Amino acid sequence: MNILQQVPRNALVWIIICLFALVAPHAARLPLWVLAVYVVAVVWRMQVHRGRWSFPGRWVKVALIVSSFVGIYASYGSLVGLEPTVALLLTAFALKLIELSQRKDAYVLLFLGYFICITAFLFSQDLLITLYLLATVVLVTTALVALHRPGEHQFKRGTIRLASIMLLQAMPLMVVLFFVFPRFGPLWTVPIMSHTAKTGMSDFMKPGDVASLSQSADVAFRVKFDGEIPAKSALYWRGLVFSRLEQGVWSGLGYYDVPIQEQRPPAVNTVGDALRYTVIVEPTQQNWLYGLHFAHSNTPGVMHTSDYRLFSPAPLETEFKYSVATWQNIATDTQLSDWRRKTETKLPPGGNPRTRQLALDLRGNASNDTDYVERVLDNFHREAFVYTLRPGTLSGRDPIDQFMFQSRRGFCEHYASAFVFMMRAAGVPARVVAGYQGGEINPVNKTVIVHQFDAHAWAEVWIANKGWVRVDPTSAVSPQRIELGLEEAMAAEGSFLATEPLSPLRYRSIPLLNLLRLRYDALTYRWQSWVVGFDRDQQFDLLHSFFGEINVRSFATLLLGSWALVLLPVAISLFYKRDTFPVSPLDKHYRKFCDRMTRIGLVREPGETPGQFALRAKEAVPGCADQLWRITALYNELAYAGATSSKGSSAQMLERAVASFKPERRREPMEKTVS
Amino acid sequence: MDNVYSSTEQHGKGIRARLRARFRQWVNRRIPPAREVTLDQRRIFIFPSRAGFFFGCCLLVMLIAAINFENNLSYGLTFLLATLFIVATLHTYANLSGLTLRALRAEPAFAGQQSEFHLMIERSKQRDHYALYLKWPTSSETLVSLVVDDSLKVQLHMAVDKRGWFSPGRLLLESTYPLGLLRCWTWIDLDLHALVYPRPLASAELPGLATDTPDGAAAMVAGNDDFYGFRQYRKGDSLRQVHWKGLAKGQGVLTKQYTAYADRSVWLDWNLFPGLGTEQRLSHLCYWVLEFDQRKEEYGLRVPGLVIEPSLGEKHRDLVLKALALYGVEGRHH
Repeated sequence: MNILQQVPRNALVWIIICLFALVAPHAARLPLWVLAVYVVAVVWRMQVHRGRWSFPGRWVKVALIVSSFVGIYASYGSLVGLEPTVALLLTAFALKLIELSQRKDAYVLLFLGYFICITAFLFSQDLLITLYLLATVVLVTTALVALHRPGEHQFKRGTIRLASIMLLQAMPLMVVLFFVFPRFGPLWTVPIMSHTAKTGMSDFMKPGDVASLSQSADVAFRVKFDGEIPAKSALYWRGLVFSRLEQGVWSGLGYYDVPIQEQRPPAVNTVGDALRYTVIVEPTQQNWLYGLHFAHSNTPGVMHTSDYRLFSPAPLETEFKYSVATWQNIATDTQLSDWRRKTETKLPPGGNPRTRQLALDLRGNASNDTDYVERVLDNFHREAFVYTLRPGTLSGRDPIDQFMFQSRRGFCEHYASAFVFMMRAAGVPARVVAGYQGGEINPVNKTVIVHQFDAHAWAEVWIANKGWVRVDPTSAVSPQRIELGLEEAMAAEGSFLATEPLSPLRYRSIPLLNLLRLRYDALTYRWQSWVVGFDRDQQFDLLHSFFGEINVRSFATLLLGSWALVLLPVAISLFYKRDTFPVSPLDKHYRKFCDRMTRIGLVREPGETPGQFALRAKEAVPGCADQLWRITALYNELAYAGATSSKGSSAQMLERAVASFKPERRREPMEKTVS
Repeated sequence: MDNVYSSTEQHGKGIRARLRARFRQWVNRRIPPAREVTLDQRRIFIFPSRAGFFFGCCLLVMLIAAINFENNLSYGLTFLLATLFIVATLHTYANLSGLTLRALRAEPAFAGQQSEFHLMIERSKQRDHYALYLKWPTSSETLVSLVVDDSLKVQLHMAVDKRGWFSPGRLLLESTYPLGLLRCWTWIDLDLHALVYPRPLASAELPGLATDTPDGAAAMVAGNDDFYGFRQYRKGDSLRQVHWKGLAKGQGVLTKQYTAYADRSVWLDWNLFPGLGTEQRLSHLCYWVLEFDQRKEEYGLRVPGLVIEPSLGEKHRDLVLKALALYGVEGRHH
């Protein structure tokens, strides 16, 4: 085999390290057998290296490839979509190791490794994941370096040094390119994550859904207000509107359920100052976006619905940043269309007779709809209702009756659901709204962190002349939930994050830990807004603030200038290294002598003493024997005899002796002197 | 039609040959032949390697992925790797820069055998140089690293074909270290020439004796038998040399006399091989030079225009072989 194609053992070890490091962030998403392929591949390749097994034959390779395709299809049910594609890529990555015999195979493997880093970013752009993937990039680069150091038969940790240095040197330019490179839209549609679990709110709600969501300490989204942060009790983050009740399940209206003339969001007369803020929502694989009512967003990719929701037509596969303006005290839908009125008062026929009766009784006593709302809330407040994360199950034929008159234990969705049911039973238009309520204010960077446990459901009632009015029946039962948050509301029950004992949120009482958590969260926010969510607008603002006007010249200046600034120090550090040895003047003279000998074809061997060299040299150039001995003797005396008073003059003598030393070429036949 | 085609082909070939010659001239001007060359920016060429182009394609795919998924960290990684490529340019260049190549010697060889070329590679700065690939167009190849040592001796072997001075051409020194994405190389003419002796060609025996020697000192004898006469037995003669057959015939006790090596010498003469071509003559002469050198018999050489007095020893042999090698070779090679 070509000597250039050999793969040193050191490189092989680094490649195997890369293999495991690269599959690790994907491990949770992969079927187990893919991980088994990794172990088999490594064992196989090691045995090949030891000479016990052999490389797979052609048919074995074909069989492996076919069976991995079949395996992926069996595990995912398809070969399209992001997850099966990545799984296939990762399987191919492991299989390539088995047949790795030459350097060119290693190139394919390692470049594929870089690409696998990219695929990991498609699933998460979290700060820690990014740091981890950066480390894997260092590992892959190290393997590349090791591949080009021939003859290293031992694993060498030090190889990582050069790779790290090179990547560090590449870093500043990368930053410049990152901020300067124009961001286009997608060139074509790309496979979506069809196999990743959806998180957060779902598009329907049955009793118990929000309660189970409240067990999670994950962040749902972060909000940065341009001005003051409003009071927590005003932070109702609207995400979904449920207008339809069927078989005990609340769901939203589909796109085609709304008649065409109703699909456009009604015009809202926006007057007064708006509350402006930016939201960065975590990936959910769903379409909902959250905002305070009434919300309007100018961010591209945000749509508005006729029930005043914000939503994204594409599922949120990565963090998504959008800015919102909210006019809080604005009436919406002051005129209700017939279709809308019919939809928002519709109830399934029959069922829950006691609740219906209670509704009719209360409405009969009330003077108007507003009064009726008050009476229903008062009913919740007066009776022995309990706000709890452990409401138990409602399994009867009439679950709302069961809740209203028997268990009386419920979480927000129970109250919202029962409240809207009673409104509709009395002919008052009402709907359930789901989203989040409140949030944690991070004092470090003044953002509002909304966690999954802030999930909440409330109601909207349509009142004549006022339009849709927000009513939160939960506040009638547990005012603490709205004022202080879920943790305080559940303090007595002790059920807050009961299933997540390790969540840092549970240790908020320890100041140091809490500060660390908040600082990290602030860092995450900055990361998300400046790196993950960096977009065209930000780019424009940034470049504008740097140059004023953006044109080709300033662009080129920036690119070239930064390149020069970054590459120059690299070049200097590379090319202005020390000489091989710090040479004393004495050694310099002797080396000059050696150089002259080399020129006539006599090279001093490594480790040869000046004496031995002189002996050998005398054979070759007998004519210069005297000078030779003199130089050698002078050098030996100066170098080894220790300090003497005559040293200075001896050194001069050596210099002069070397200067006058002009050896003749030794063996004629070797040289081209024939004419 | 055929004609036209072949003429254009010839024309094309002519252009290619001319271009190649132009290129060679340009390289010669840029890197003139020298026995010692220190590599600097004038002498080092750098270009993406095949792996580098492949890497570039991978980067393009990554960029497209970043654009299509609108994934900022994918952008970031793509740019990091792109700038790594640029930084690697400097590192790859640095791996060759400052190296000194020095021609040591070229071992003479017989035509059809391998000549050994010795050279030394040396670093001037305290920097590690890895995976330096050295090769002449037709020589063996070697891969060395300067990590522990500051200088290394390198031997490369090359088959030599034609008698005379052999020029190995330009030495290729190449490296793709550290990442393999860029190939950095240089072609150096180390002004190193191997002497190629004629291919030794055995002949059964020397066809004739060149008896008339200028000084009349010795006879030229063919074959292994060095016997040349009898003389009367003297005390002390070896019994093995007694001519027993003659004794049996009643010729008295005679001792077979053999040539004393010191006082016998052989003239290897151009005219010993009449009717043969120049190269064949030289090949036969070469064979006999080696033969007599091995037998430790003195021999001289007489070829048109050159006479070398009979003598013995390594130096003499080399001198004679060199004369054979360079017979009729025009002047100094270029």
